[in-house]
Amino acid sequence: MMDPILILIKSFWCGWAALGFGILFNVPPRTLFPLWIGGAFGCLIKFWLLQMNASVVFASFVGASAIGILSVPIAHVRHVPPMIFAIPSVIPLIPGVFAYRTMLGLIKLTGTIGADYNSILSETVNNGAKTLFIIMSLALGVAIPMHVMRKESVKKIRFGKRL
Amino acid sequence: MEQKDNTEAKELGSLLLEVGVSLLSSGASCSRIRITMRRFATAFNYAAHISIAPKSISLTLKDKEDNAIFNGMLSTPSQGVNFRTISGISRLSWRAIENKLSIQQVRDELNELLALPHYPRIIILFFVSLAGAAFCYSFGGNLVEMLIAFGATFCGLFVRQEAVKNKFNPYISVFFASLVASLFAGAFIKAGLNINFEHAFATSVLFLIPGVPLINSFTDLIDGNILNGLVRGINALMFSMAIAFGLLIAMLIYNLN
Repeated sequence: MMDPILILIKSFWCGWAALGFGILFNVPPRTLFPLWIGGAFGCLIKFWLLQMNASVVFASFVGASAIGILSVPIAHVRHVPPMIFAIPSVIPLIPGVFAYRTMLGLIKLTGTIGADYNSILSETVNNGAKTLFIIMSLALGVAIPMHVMRKESVKKIRFGKRL
Repeated sequence: MEQKDNTEAKELGSLLLEVGVSLLSSGASCSRIRITMRRFATAFNYAAHISIAPKSISLTLKDKEDNAIFNGMLSTPSQGVNFRTISGISRLSWRAIENKLSIQQVRDELNELLALPHYPRIIILFFVSLAGAAFCYSFGGNLVEMLIAFGATFCGLFVRQEAVKNKFNPYISVFFASLVASLFAGAFIKAGLNINFEHAFATSVLFLIPGVPLINSFTDLIDGNILNGLVRGINALMFSMAIAFGLLIAMLIYNLN
């Protein structure tokens, strides 16, 4: 169990991770602050759900969806396409440790077959499946709200032309 | 009269292709490229038919009578992710409609936009390293591990920037960056520092993750641009393998199993 203050501090740092990636991707300066908020908010939701004993895949999906939904109003306010806000914000949710453990397990699997080979195998498959599904849920969580938003935007063009 | 129309279509066509390849090389999804190019074309009363390949864009412009009056293709320059270009072009396309800009005005603004500078190099290095340290904290690292992650990211990103500057193959640049970052992190573990090396090691290479191709791959697949989605997905996979390989070599060198 994590206490609420630790969750807040972790989310605070996740915001900085999102901001760093925003700078790496050369986002316009006016989106930097929203990026920080988005990264922190997504992580806050993920860690909060994890504390409620939700599965890590579900928690990441909800976190990414929250960022995706948040990207719609922010895109309107700051006049940027939503993906510019959503992609850097979602990066702190990437399962780095699971991916690392998967890779480490695969390296161990190339060794000789010993007594603990079976447990390494099942751990590696477990970590790999988690990595794969978390990444898929991140992409989906971000893509679905952007999709809804795009249709709205196209409607507005047509409406504007008729006027 | 017809002659004049043709010149306009030619100018518009080459402008649209330039807009398209700038978007493609800056990391925009296929549907965004299509939407933006069509938006420009409708602003000048043409219909655009677009085909997007992984490294080039083809375009046919048709007038109101459905006559094809421009055919062209342009391949992309090699250039990294640049979200400032994407957002700038998106704003420009709206302004072109609202203020009825001429083709020449749009071209001038596009050139201005493409010449916009990146963040200063030291700022990029500092903030991306800070992001590495932040990752380390969110995975449960302590202050020493965060400092190691910061240093490893700094060295790794520096190597990557140099490799890109010298026009190395992008996957090999990532491999070198990953190798240097994990060698840096591993040196502290090898020196006998009593830390959980999982945190420092796993987070030292996270700045290399191909987040943009990965998410764009899914976006393209969902939109039905299956071929582009697959290409981007395999591109992301190649980058991930380059990262894993760099990490693996470092671990084998330090004999950390």
